[in-house]
Amino acid sequence: MNIEIKSLHFAYPDGTEALKGISLTIASGEQIAIVGQNGAGKTTLARHLNGLLKPSGGTVFVGDWETTQHPVAKLAARVGYVFQNPDEQLFSRDVLTEVSFGPRNLGYAKEKVDALAQRALALTELSEKTEVNPYDLSPTWRKMVALASIIAMDTPIVVFDEPTTGQDAANVARIARVVAELKREGKTVIAITHDIDFCAENFERVVALSRGQILLDGATRDVLGQEAVLAQTYVEPPQLTRLGKRLGLKETVVNQEELLQALKK
Amino acid sequence: MSDRLSFHVQRDSFLHRLNPLTKLTLAFALVVVAFVLPFYWTPIFVLFAVIVPLSVSGKIFREFSWAALRLILPAVGFLFVMQALFQPIGEQVVFKFYFLDATTESVAYAFRNAARIFVMISAFTLFLLSTHPSELMSDLTRRGLPSQFSYVVISTLQIIPQMQAKANAIIAAQRSRGLDTESSFLKRAGALGPLVGPLVFGSLVEVEERAIAIEARGFTSKRAKTSLYEIADSKFESVLRWSLVALVVLSIGLNLWHS
Repeated sequence: MNIEIKSLHFAYPDGTEALKGISLTIASGEQIAIVGQNGAGKTTLARHLNGLLKPSGGTVFVGDWETTQHPVAKLAARVGYVFQNPDEQLFSRDVLTEVSFGPRNLGYAKEKVDALAQRALALTELSEKTEVNPYDLSPTWRKMVALASIIAMDTPIVVFDEPTTGQDAANVARIARVVAELKREGKTVIAITHDIDFCAENFERVVALSRGQILLDGATRDVLGQEAVLAQTYVEPPQLTRLGKRLGLKETVVNQEELLQALKK
Repeated sequence: MSDRLSFHVQRDSFLHRLNPLTKLTLAFALVVVAFVLPFYWTPIFVLFAVIVPLSVSGKIFREFSWAALRLILPAVGFLFVMQALFQPIGEQVVFKFYFLDATTESVAYAFRNAARIFVMISAFTLFLLSTHPSELMSDLTRRGLPSQFSYVVISTLQIIPQMQAKANAIIAAQRSRGLDTESSFLKRAGALGPLVGPLVFGSLVEVEERAIAIEARGFTSKRAKTSLYEIADSKFESVLRWSLVALVVLSIGLNLWHS
């Protein structure tokens, strides 16, 4: 399911112009990271995808649906959105009920709800914690519950808002595995992130925003290689990429494997 | 995104420049006068001769009117209708609603009470719109009130807009999980659980975290605190405050004498 954004403008009620003519096409099954300084418009852009925000100008199509023509509750069947703070959504007495909440809202049969919930719990390594109250879990595991509750909705598009913020290395690795699995299933994954290493290792395309406009859009390697341009939106390429440059490597490297290969050459 | 975390509206006006304690005294005095002065039209007089002109001179008439029409009037209107229909006084019926009668006396009684409540909420709305919580806190602490007490006052003033901002975030998160908050009343009523749960729990967690955070910065230290802001005060304002206190005493005296 493609996403087609054309000349998207958005201004908040206080007059702040957050998006200034964004045009973007995201093909079905792509893995995209959206990066940029605070206030660049990343979250504002992502919230247009499931209709939480409606454009001041321009259009946003998710598949053949224009987001202004459908309520959020309906768009939720196409776009899953994992919020940054899990505590803003958890309310059920146990993990299984919490994870089942989304698919139940979408009106799936009980058997399908159970199957989707179990699959999401397995993917997020929560299968042993189904009967635990989410608030008895650590913040990192609560994040995984929030993530599982969106994956269980089985949407073709999943948006992660700052998935790795405040997470330990083990949980970042878990989230990376979830992203990889979603990719394997052919889902579109969009992440808003400041974690440039996570971005380099897990996403094939990067969109850099600055002051409500697209600064760069392209393959991860191409975008992260443009250190000077990225500096305009206060994004630093991964440490390995900068090390590669300092070592005088001709190609841009974005992970350890690529650095080792380049050094061997 | 910008979320207002207090009701305060920044303007350059005479009202804004008044000392926070003067404005607080004024709000209390207006409420007491509206409630205890034994003249029927006192609340209306207080509203139109004091509160509304102050909102105009304070350059916050638009925000004040919005609050009055959207928040205060519906609540006070409900109170008026209830009291007019259910107060068992008087015989001359002016309005009948099925088996309920509104009499001239019950309508007059309901109107006076509704006007008093309107004045009470309006006076504090005016105070909140023209006073920044941190200024009030600084001034109260400077005057020797325990900082814990000031903190309770400030938290109370800030809690509604903060919870409003949090509620908006929660509504967005639950709508994203397919929760229908836009259609029929029944569906919206059913959505209350997923919205209230995170709001209450999140607020409790926030209170605890904030308590720890301010304690970690020496909030309960016994040493005299340094004030970051210099809150202006003057002899004139001191006289004004004592005059308001005198007005309150006079009103209570008049009420006792009248009864």
